[in-house]
Amino acid sequence: MTDTHSGANRKEEKHVPSQHSSRNHLITFGLSIILTAIAFAAVAMEQVDVKSVVPFIFLLALIQAGFQLFVWMHLDQKGHQFQRIFMAAGAFVALLTIVTFVFWIWW
Amino acid sequence: MGHSHAPKKKGLLMDYLTTVDHKKIGILYFVAGGIFFLLGGLEALLLRIQLIVPNNTFLNGATFNEIMTMHGTTMIFLAAMPLLFGLMNAVLPLQIGARDVAFPFLNSLGFWMFFFGGVLVNCSWFLGGSPDAGWTAYPPLSVSFSGFSLDFYALGLQIAGIGTLIGGINFLATIVNMRAPGMTFMRMPLFTWTSFVTSALILFAFPAVTVGLVLLSFDRLFSANFFNVANGGNEIIWQHLFWIFGHPEVYILILPAFGVISDVISTFSKKRLFGYSSMVFATVLIGFLGFMVWAHHMFTVGMGPVANALFGISTMLIAIPTGIKIFNWLFTMWGGQIRFTTANLWAVGFIPTFVIGGMTGVMLAAPAADYQYHDTYFVVAHFHYVIVGGMVFGIFSGLYYWWPKMFGRMLNETLGKWNFWFFFIGFHLTFFPQHFLGLMGMQRRIFTFFPNQGLDFGNLISTIGAFGMTIGTIIFLINIAVTNSKPKNAPADPWDGRTLEWAVPSPPPEYNFKQTPQVRGYDALWVEKMAGNKGMIPAEPLGHIHMPSGSILPFIMSVGLFIASFGLMYEKVPVAIIGALITLFCMLLRSLIDDPGYHIDPTEEKGVEA
Amino acid sequence: MSANHALHTELPAEPEKATLEGRNKILAFWFFLGGESVLFGSLFATFIALRDKANGGPTGVELFSLPLVAAATMLLLTSSLTSVMSILAMHKKNVSQMVFWLVITALLGLGFLGLEMYEFYEYVHEGHTLRSSAFGSAFYTLVGFHGAHVAFGLLWLFALLAMTGKKGLTVVTAPKYFVFSLYWHFVDLVWVFIFTVVYLMGKVGV
Repeated sequence: MTDTHSGANRKEEKHVPSQHSSRNHLITFGLSIILTAIAFAAVAMEQVDVKSVVPFIFLLALIQAGFQLFVWMHLDQKGHQFQRIFMAAGAFVALLTIVTFVFWIWW
Repeated sequence: MGHSHAPKKKGLLMDYLTTVDHKKIGILYFVAGGIFFLLGGLEALLLRIQLIVPNNTFLNGATFNEIMTMHGTTMIFLAAMPLLFGLMNAVLPLQIGARDVAFPFLNSLGFWMFFFGGVLVNCSWFLGGSPDAGWTAYPPLSVSFSGFSLDFYALGLQIAGIGTLIGGINFLATIVNMRAPGMTFMRMPLFTWTSFVTSALILFAFPAVTVGLVLLSFDRLFSANFFNVANGGNEIIWQHLFWIFGHPEVYILILPAFGVISDVISTFSKKRLFGYSSMVFATVLIGFLGFMVWAHHMFTVGMGPVANALFGISTMLIAIPTGIKIFNWLFTMWGGQIRFTTANLWAVGFIPTFVIGGMTGVMLAAPAADYQYHDTYFVVAHFHYVIVGGMVFGIFSGLYYWWPKMFGRMLNETLGKWNFWFFFIGFHLTFFPQHFLGLMGMQRRIFTFFPNQGLDFGNLISTIGAFGMTIGTIIFLINIAVTNSKPKNAPADPWDGRTLEWAVPSPPPEYNFKQTPQVRGYDALWVEKMAGNKGMIPAEPLGHIHMPSGSILPFIMSVGLFIASFGLMYEKVPVAIIGALITLFCMLLRSLIDDPGYHIDPTEEKGVEA
Repeated sequence: MSANHALHTELPAEPEKATLEGRNKILAFWFFLGGESVLFGSLFATFIALRDKANGGPTGVELFSLPLVAAATMLLLTSSLTSVMSILAMHKKNVSQMVFWLVITALLGLGFLGLEMYEFYEYVHEGHTLRSSAFGSAFYTLVGFHGAHVAFGLLWLFALLAMTGKKGLTVVTAPKYFVFSLYWHFVDLVWVFIFTVVYLMGKVGV
């Protein structure tokens, strides 16, 4: 190839594809189903009071989000430094907005 | 294969309508942004004429509100941002040793979206009246009391905003992935660093206003209830969303200007920028803190003392990294061999002017004091000092500095100095008195004022100053015309520059660098000059260069959204659907039809330096 | 051109990253997702602020049916898995297997949308609309935007499948499948927060 692409930052990927084999993904899928089921059950049971259910299911959601990002979207792999920084920044601004609307909106 | 061919030569119009070359797109941004700047400036002049004497009848209240709103909206969204994008497009790839940005097609799309968004907003003049609720468009005024015009505002800015977001993502990917070998992050010029942080701010700030504009549009077009208190809505939602965008927006405006100043001052002091690492750190810190201060626009809304105190403190904190920058610029000049070219006049004029704007910013940051300043001319003075005295001065500096690189001609220095002094003095005459007008109680956004309240003299001087700025701008236009008639013979490196853009001809060939350069340090070109080399050491052998083809699709896609907006506004659903389908269809074409591009053999190019 | 062995043995291990263009696309798409996080964050924030402003109309507790939402969640979650499987197939250079998983993903996505449209239809008949209250406006805008993202993703997927027939798997097309997969995961991620914050918390009466 006579193409002259500049490749300043092309490091060799040390990532081994088998790290994220179908087995890992199926396990992650199974765990996600379980977490989802637990969340739905916690609400459906109506025996747990509101104050503890809400943080609990929110925590479950965060864990599931972690599965999506770090297992299925490979955010934990090498070469994803910028991706992690920018997703964290986006999550930070989103969180800022949500906190604002909880505390600083009033009628 | 040893062929080298460029595609068939297109006429000038088709060339610019289909270009995906960052250099030409930069020029498109300058032309469009420049025209909107003149429009915004005309609007400002009309406002100042109305306010030259009390009880003036030059403009009535309704018209004044439209012109005032369009002045702000045009200047911020349609003039400032595009002019900065113009500089970033023209210079950034050259500064990092790249052949183009990461996504040339998207680069073009970003421009045309901005352009048609701006045209849409300005169509309002001819279609029943322009937006008149201020550039901040607070509900309920913007939802229930403003007629048709606010639809132009919401939809036009939405389209332009998507264009800006596309541009921001493009620059981010370019800077991360396409730097020349040896150019680590800490060897990038400051203009590149500030463009990087600016692009990150664009990425995170624009979605907030996107949502805000969606909520506004839904309330207006579909009778939603986001801001309708009777049905449970809340107007503060708009204010938060708008300012969560709006405050980072002003850092988006100023950071590239800071980058220009750093590059210009160090070049014309013939001295390395003082405190490079702290400059980078300060830039990133300003970017981060920029997201933590938005509610200082809302001190008087009633969030309470805790919120006000938090935001007041975070606002004052931004003065620290900004101060680091100011001192570093001064220390760069100290002991340097200073040349006062026009570019440097603008940069040096920027420093005290921006400092004054920053100082009044710290004054405004104290919530208790802000209860007095809020909605007075004191605020107007503050933000014009930082935006005009900061950003516009920075743009002028960048234009005079990089004009030869972009156009192959040097702007006339004598006319440049007349341009500078008329604009600089006119600027201070316009806005310095406004501090006192505000302190004496003159409210913002009023279309007239009463005599014998002590406001007459300040307003008169302010309007005279506005004429001074007008003359300065006209001189700049004359400079462009005069320069354009001269031969295109600017040298590659007219200023004895330090950074990579001065290593290529003026203007550069289509592919920028015949061979991607090897970077050996900060101020990459200066490093080579000090080592006794004539130019950069290449990082790759000479070879065919692959270039992307132009495309008319970005233009058509933007027209599609333009048409769809009219359909939404006038409640003609088929028109809206057709417009959207045009855009979607073009996206499909783009995906399915491969662009093979074309090859250039740089050794066959005439007139290129060896 | 049909998929032929010679071409496939030339493909590198992770074809989506083999070209600068591919790496640029993947990086830029992650940046875009960062921006989308703020977009959905703002929509969530608006919903949270307005969730109890039902203006006398039906509230979340009355409207939401957990079995329906659970079914929709299963569909979308499974479609996220199948899109992972399609990328694994791509890395094994098995185009027909990749297409198989993508088709399943599309069907699951269509099922999700179908359920959601049925759900909205029911709500409208119970008096819960965009116009009926601030809660209604916020609900339909947040959940609707997510649904629109699913719909757009399906259009994208159909275009990808059409393209596969024409061009097959190359270092040029590989990034496109990968980027789609990132998008689809993100859309499922947003849904995790929607079913938690909107439906589950709504059912509890927050």
